[in-house]
Amino acid sequence: MIPTLAQFIPPFDVRSVLVDPWTTDFDSKGWIVLMGFLTSVACGWVGQHLLLRRMALMGDAISHSVLPGLATAFLVASFLFGGRDDAGHAARDSSVMLVGAIAAGWLTTLLIGLIHRHSRVKQDAAIGIVFATLFAIGVVLITLFADHVDLDADCVLYGEIGFVPFQQTLQLFGFELGPVPVARMAVVTILTVAGTLAFYKELVISSFDAGLATSLGIPAPTVHFLLMGWLAIVIVSAFESVGAILVIAMLIVPGATASLIASRLPTLFALIVLHSAISTVAGLHLALWLDCSIAGAMVVSGCILFTFAWTATVIRRARDHRHATLHSASTDTPSPASGPV
Amino acid sequence: MNCPSLTAEPWRLRSHPWFTALLLLLFLLALAFAPSAEAAKIGELSVNSVRTQALRFLSLQDPAVRYALAGSVLLGISCGLLGAFLVVRRLALVGDALSHAVLPGVAAGFLWSQTKDPVAIFIGAVIAGLLGTLVVEGIKQTTRLKEDAALGLVLAGFYAVGICLVTMIQRLPTGAKSGIDKFLFGQAAAIGPGDLKLMAAVAFVAIATVLAFYKELLVASFDPAFARSAGFPVRAIHYALMLLLAFAVVSALQAVGVVLVSAMLITPAAAAYLLTDRMHRMLLLAAGIGLVSGALGCFLSFLGSNLPTGPLMVLSGSTLFAGAFLFAPRHGVVTRWWLHRSRSGRIRRENTLKTVYRILEDRQFHGDGVTFRELAERRRETMEDAECQARELVRHNFASLHSVDRTILLTPDGRQRAVELVRNHRLWELYLTHAAHIPADHVHEDAERIEHVLGEDVVRELERRLNYADTDPHGRPIPTPNAVHAAGPSEPDRRPPAGYGR
Amino acid sequence: MNTPAPETPAPPLEIHDLTVAYQRRPVLWGVDLVVPPGKLVGIIGPNGAGKSTLIKACMGVVPIAGGWVRIFGSPLGRAHRRVGYVPQRESVDWDFPVNVMDLVLMGRYGKLGLFRRPSRADRDIARDCLEKVGMLPYANRQIANLSGGQQQRVFLARALAQESDLYFMDEPFAGVDAATEAAIVTLLHELRDRGRTILVVHHDLPTARNYFDMLLLLNLRRVAFGPTDEVFTYELLQKTYGGRLTILSEVAEAVRQRG
Repeated sequence: MIPTLAQFIPPFDVRSVLVDPWTTDFDSKGWIVLMGFLTSVACGWVGQHLLLRRMALMGDAISHSVLPGLATAFLVASFLFGGRDDAGHAARDSSVMLVGAIAAGWLTTLLIGLIHRHSRVKQDAAIGIVFATLFAIGVVLITLFADHVDLDADCVLYGEIGFVPFQQTLQLFGFELGPVPVARMAVVTILTVAGTLAFYKELVISSFDAGLATSLGIPAPTVHFLLMGWLAIVIVSAFESVGAILVIAMLIVPGATASLIASRLPTLFALIVLHSAISTVAGLHLALWLDCSIAGAMVVSGCILFTFAWTATVIRRARDHRHATLHSASTDTPSPASGPV
Repeated sequence: MNCPSLTAEPWRLRSHPWFTALLLLLFLLALAFAPSAEAAKIGELSVNSVRTQALRFLSLQDPAVRYALAGSVLLGISCGLLGAFLVVRRLALVGDALSHAVLPGVAAGFLWSQTKDPVAIFIGAVIAGLLGTLVVEGIKQTTRLKEDAALGLVLAGFYAVGICLVTMIQRLPTGAKSGIDKFLFGQAAAIGPGDLKLMAAVAFVAIATVLAFYKELLVASFDPAFARSAGFPVRAIHYALMLLLAFAVVSALQAVGVVLVSAMLITPAAAAYLLTDRMHRMLLLAAGIGLVSGALGCFLSFLGSNLPTGPLMVLSGSTLFAGAFLFAPRHGVVTRWWLHRSRSGRIRRENTLKTVYRILEDRQFHGDGVTFRELAERRRETMEDAECQARELVRHNFASLHSVDRTILLTPDGRQRAVELVRNHRLWELYLTHAAHIPADHVHEDAERIEHVLGEDVVRELERRLNYADTDPHGRPIPTPNAVHAAGPSEPDRRPPAGYGR
Repeated sequence: MNTPAPETPAPPLEIHDLTVAYQRRPVLWGVDLVVPPGKLVGIIGPNGAGKSTLIKACMGVVPIAGGWVRIFGSPLGRAHRRVGYVPQRESVDWDFPVNVMDLVLMGRYGKLGLFRRPSRADRDIARDCLEKVGMLPYANRQIANLSGGQQQRVFLARALAQESDLYFMDEPFAGVDAATEAAIVTLLHELRDRGRTILVVHHDLPTARNYFDMLLLLNLRRVAFGPTDEVFTYELLQKTYGGRLTILSEVAEAVRQRG
C-alpha cells in the first residue's frame, strides 16, 4: 500500500506545479485557465437563476439530454452536408451544436412537463426518467454511428479541458483574437452576463413571485422557456471542456457558495465571478500536482470553497446561538433578583 | 446587448432568432429522413450475425451469457423493489445523487485492493453513497439552500472527486487495463461469479427487508409525522432505506454504470406507480418491470458487437414506462382519452334523446314518432346528421326506426332515460334559482352539463329540498319517473314514491 | 395617474359569468360583479369558497374557464398597469436573496418596461411607501430576517409602490400582530379616501363588519354583494357559511369525477 500511495500521489514540486504554468507554459495553460474561467462564469450565472427558481436539477436533466441532441444534430449534418472537412467546418459545427442543444433543451422541458401534467408521476421522477432515457439514446446513437458522430462517449462524461484544441485561432480584421473555442465561450459568457443584466427585472420577479409577474404583464412561462433554451446553449458550449456531469457542478457550486455568503443578488453575482476565478486557478494547480483531470480538479476546488463557506456559516451560527443564549441568560438571571418583589 | 467587436463573428450571427428557427425547422425535416439512413447503417450488422448471436444468447450455453443474464435479472429486481419507495416518497432524485456519489468510493475501493475486487469496491461505494446522503441532509439542515441545490452539489461534487481519482488510477501501471472505466456505462458481459454472488446477496437482503419491515416502511413513507408520533424510528428507517439503496446501486454498477443506474431505480417504479393504486402490488410490479428491462437490455446489448448494456436496459425500462404512461388501465393518457371520447359520445346521444323528448312534449305527446326532419330542424343540423344520431340511439337500444316514414320511435328504455334527463335538467335549474338564488338566465348552461352526471342520491336530495315541485323556473313541467311507462304524460305524481322517505 | 374622467367612466372591476376550474373541478361558478370606484370591498366566505381564486382569476394568474373580466373597461392585458396585487405571504420564498428595498422596488417593475432599471425617482417612491408602512428603518434588511407582520407591511409597501387605481389583496391580515393589522386598516382607508378601489380577501367575520364599505359573500357562487350594512345579515351569512349549499360542492365533485 505505502509504495503505491507514493506512486499515486506525486511529490509536490513547487516549480512545475506553481511556477511553470505562469511562465514557460503560459501559452497553453493560460488559455486553459481563461477557458475554465469563462465556462464557470457563464454556468454560474445561468445556474444562479436555476437556484433561485429551485430548479437546480433541470440543469442536471438538460446537461444529460443535450447529448442525444448533439448526436442527432451531427448525424443529420453528416448526411446533409457529407463528412467533408472543409473551410466552413468549424462554423458549421457550431451552428449544428447550437441547434441540437436548443432542440434537446426544449424537448426535455416539454417532456418533463408532459409526464408530470398528464400522469400522477411527480416532477422529480419525471426529470429522472426523461434525462436518463434521452442520455441513453445519446449513448446508443454514438456507439452505433461512431464514424458519423464526432463525439466520444468517455469525453462526454468528463470532457477534458486539457484536450480542447487551442491551435486553431480566430482571425478578425487581421487581428488574432485567440483560439476558436475560447472565443466561442467568450461570446456565450458575454451574452449570458449581458442578458442577465438586460432582463434582470423580468428574471428576478418571475423567480421570486410568478403571480405578481403575471399580473404585471411579464409572462412567467415564456421567461422560463427562454431560460431553459439559453441554459441548453450554455451547457453545450461548456460540453467540450467539462463534459455532461461536471457541468452540473459548474452550474450549482458557484451560486450555492455565493448564496451562503451574500444576501443580495448583485453581490451574489459578483461573488460567483470571484468563485470562478479562484476555483479555476486552484483547480489548475491541483490538477498539475496530482496529474488528474483538470476539469475535475477545478470542480473539486470549487467544492472545497463551498465547504469552507459552509463551515464558516455553521461556526458563525453556533457562535451567534451561544452568544444569544449567554446573553439571554445574563439578562434573565439578574432580573428576578434586582426587580421589585 | 451591443457588443460591436463581436457582431462580425459568424457564430454570433447564427444565434439570430430567425436563423435559429430556420435551422430548427431544417433539423426536424432532416430527422424525418434519418430513419432510412439508420436502417442502412444497422444493415451492416448483418441479419445472420444477429441471428447467431440471438441463438447463442437464448440457448444459454455460454457461461458468460448466463452470468450476464442472471446478474441483470437480479439487479432489475432489487432496483425496482427499492426504487418504488423512492418514487412514492418523492425522493427520485435522491437516487440520482446517490448513484453519482458512489464513484469516488468505487475508485477508493479499487485503490485499496489494487484489483477489481467486488467486495472492496462494494464497501467503498456504500460508504461514499451514505456519506453523500448525509451531506445532503447536512446542507439542508444547516443552510438555507433548498433540496435541489443540495442534491446537485453532492451529485456533482462527489462525481468530480471520483473523476479525479479515476484519471489518476488510469495513470498507474496497474490501472490502465483495469476496466474501471466500464463502471461509467456498464458492461454486463464483464459480470463474473464474484459479482453475481454479491448481486444475489443484495437482492436477497432487499427482498427480505421489504417483507419483514413492510408495515414500517409503508407508514414511514406515507406519513412520516404520524409514524414518528406512533413511535416508529423514522430517521433510522430512512437511513436503512438509503443503505439498501446504496447496496442496490453498487450491485448494479457493473452492468448499468454510474450515470444511468438511477434510471433503473426510478423508471420501473414510476411505471408500476401508474399501473396500480396499492403499495404491495406496486412493489411486485416494479420488481417485475425491473426484471424485464434488465433481461431485455442484456439481450439487446448482446446482439450488437460493442453496445454498452446500461443505456439499453434504461431504454427497455423507458419503453415499458411509455407503455404504462399511454395505456395504463386507469391513469394512461390514451385510456383516459378513450374514456373521454366514449363519455362525450354518451352525452351527444343523451342530448339527442332529450331533443326527441322535447319535440314530443311540445306537441303534447300526440303521435309516437319523431321524423328525422323534425329532429334536424330542432337541432339546426343537416338531415344526415340527424339520421346518424338516430342510428346511434338505435344501436344503444334507446329507439327503433320506422324505415318507411323515416321516424324515430323511443323504446321504453329510451323513454325512461329521456325522462330522467329532462327531469335532472329542470330540477337542477329550479334548485339553482330557488335555493342558490342564481338568476334564471344563468342556469340553463349549467344544467346542460350537470344533467348527465347527477346521481340518483343527489336527485332524491334535490326533490326533497324542492318539496317535490312540478314546474321548472321557465314554467315547464318536471316529468316524474312514474310517467315513464304511460303512453303520454300522466298527472304529475306529487306523492314521494315508496322508499324515498322524508 | 390623473386620467381625465370620461363621461361615463367604466367601473374599476366588472366580472361577468366568471367560471374557474382547477383540474376540471369548478371552484367558481358564474360569478357576476360590478365594483363601483372608491370602495373598500371585503370578500368573505368559508374555506375553499374560491375567494383567492376570484382574485387570481381577475389578475390573470389562473386561467378562466368561462365568462370575462374587465378592468376599467378593458381586458387585463391592457390594464395591468392600473392594478396592484398583494399575494398571500406564504406564496413566495422568503429566503430569496433580496433586501426590503429590492422587494419594494419590484412594485415599480411593471411601469419600467424592457431594459430600463429603476431610477432615483423610483427609489424615492419606494422609500416613501416604506415610510408609510413604518418599515423605512428596515430598508436594508434581508427579507428572511423579518417577522410575519413586517413581511406583510413590506408586501403592502410594494403594492403602494405600484401606484395603482385598483388593488387586490389576498388575506393581508393573516398571521399579523394587532398593531400591524390596525396600521394596514388605516392605510387601506387612506387609499380608499384618495379614490382607489380595493378588494380584500378576509376570513374574520367580526372585524369584516367594521373594516369594509362593501362586502362580497362568496361560496362557489356569489351569494350577495352590497353595502356592508345591507349584506351583513344573519340570513345571508347563514347562506354563505351554512350547510345549505353543500349540494353544490357535492355536484362539483361529481363533475370532477365524471364530467
